[in-house]
Amino acid sequence: MRRTLVIAAALLLLWTVVSQANHALSGLHLYLFVGGLFVAFSALTQPFAPGLAASIIGGMCCDAAAPAGLFVTHALLFAAAHVSVFHVRDRIPRDETASRVVVALLTNLALFLVFSFSQVHHSPAPGLAWPRLLMDLAASQVFLALLAPWFFVLQARVLVLAGVDRESLA
Amino acid sequence: MSSKRFDPSRPFLTLGVVTILWLLIPIAVKGFTRATFFELTAPLTVAASYARDLQEYWALRMHSNSDLIAAGRDLARLNASYELAVQQNSTLHAEIGRLEDLLGLPSFAEYRYEHARVVRRELSGWWQRLVIRKGRNYGLTAGAPVIFTGGVVGRVTEVHATTAVVELLSSPELRLVGVVEGDSRPISFQGGINPTFGPPVALVEFVPLDVIANRNLTKRLVTSGLGVFPPGLTLGVITRLELGADALFQSGEVRLDERLSSLTEVTVLVPLHGD
Repeated sequence: MRRTLVIAAALLLLWTVVSQANHALSGLHLYLFVGGLFVAFSALTQPFAPGLAASIIGGMCCDAAAPAGLFVTHALLFAAAHVSVFHVRDRIPRDETASRVVVALLTNLALFLVFSFSQVHHSPAPGLAWPRLLMDLAASQVFLALLAPWFFVLQARVLVLAGVDRESLA
Repeated sequence: MSSKRFDPSRPFLTLGVVTILWLLIPIAVKGFTRATFFELTAPLTVAASYARDLQEYWALRMHSNSDLIAAGRDLARLNASYELAVQQNSTLHAEIGRLEDLLGLPSFAEYRYEHARVVRRELSGWWQRLVIRKGRNYGLTAGAPVIFTGGVVGRVTEVHATTAVVELLSSPELRLVGVVEGDSRPISFQGGINPTFGPPVALVEFVPLDVIANRNLTKRLVTSGLGVFPPGLTLGVITRLELGADALFQSGEVRLDERLSSLTEVTVLVPLHGD
């Protein structure tokens, strides 16, 4: 339980940072989506149940900021991504930061595309919406690649400080 | 190493169970969960907005006394013009009231103006929303129109304890009825094309064939008065029209105010009477 809450608190911080970045970038009509970062660390390094619970809580935070009709869409997508990454995590060098970042980038790409395909029909001109979505995706991937190493270390350190993990495991 | 063998299908089974459980949960519980998570994140957003306000305050404190004197002089001139406008406005209101009585027309809805700071702008390719720093604590109601100096901002879609969510005019979910300035025929308006680095663009449909607009000859689109918005508020400028597929009407593009994406303060029109 404590492990879940500690990771969820870190995800809440990530949500705050990203929402402030989006607030600042709104004048440029750019939007950052880092769903992959909400999932990658807990899916790659944490036990299944607390990691999945943390990913779902992170998804719920994103859902609360999305239109009411989409509630739980993020949470279910994050849960599906968590399960998929967890399933393959023993086949990748998950102790290396670079491979963690690559997993986060691939997860983010998949989540962004699934979410975009599920939402693009709301646009009055879906064909015209894609260039914007692709620009958002490119900016999000760059932002995620820059932010991910810091956030992985932050989550690991927070788990150690909370006494959930030992120093050698972080 | 754990003595128990981990079943690789268990995560997928768990995901299936979570999904089914969620589908079976009553809507009221889902709504409560959503509101709980919104209120959980709201203090963070509001705190960040107060920090920005403080930053702005200290930045303004850096201005010299000469700047302040010049700004005060400009404001005094502006106030003088507004005083005149207010006087004209009261005369016009009295005239409208007299005509309504004479012709037996229903009177326009009356509103209370509630100014609110924008605490978060969330302008994605999927949706376009603002969170403002006033909610149920100031009597805001869902569906209330939101305006700024450039015209319509959008409408309130969710009201929470101390915050409210505004759906922007540029959001694909927002549809309303507008009219070309000086015309009374209704036109369908829908926001939704928001290119990167460019001004937001909305679409119009059912434009009468005799309305002509292009980049050199733009037409101002205003609210019709049908629905929640008072009449005559600017929606945008029609920059392109082309014959629709049915050849009975035209459809086209409306350029929205660029300031919509950098708003820091808006005004909510709270209806004075319940409906």
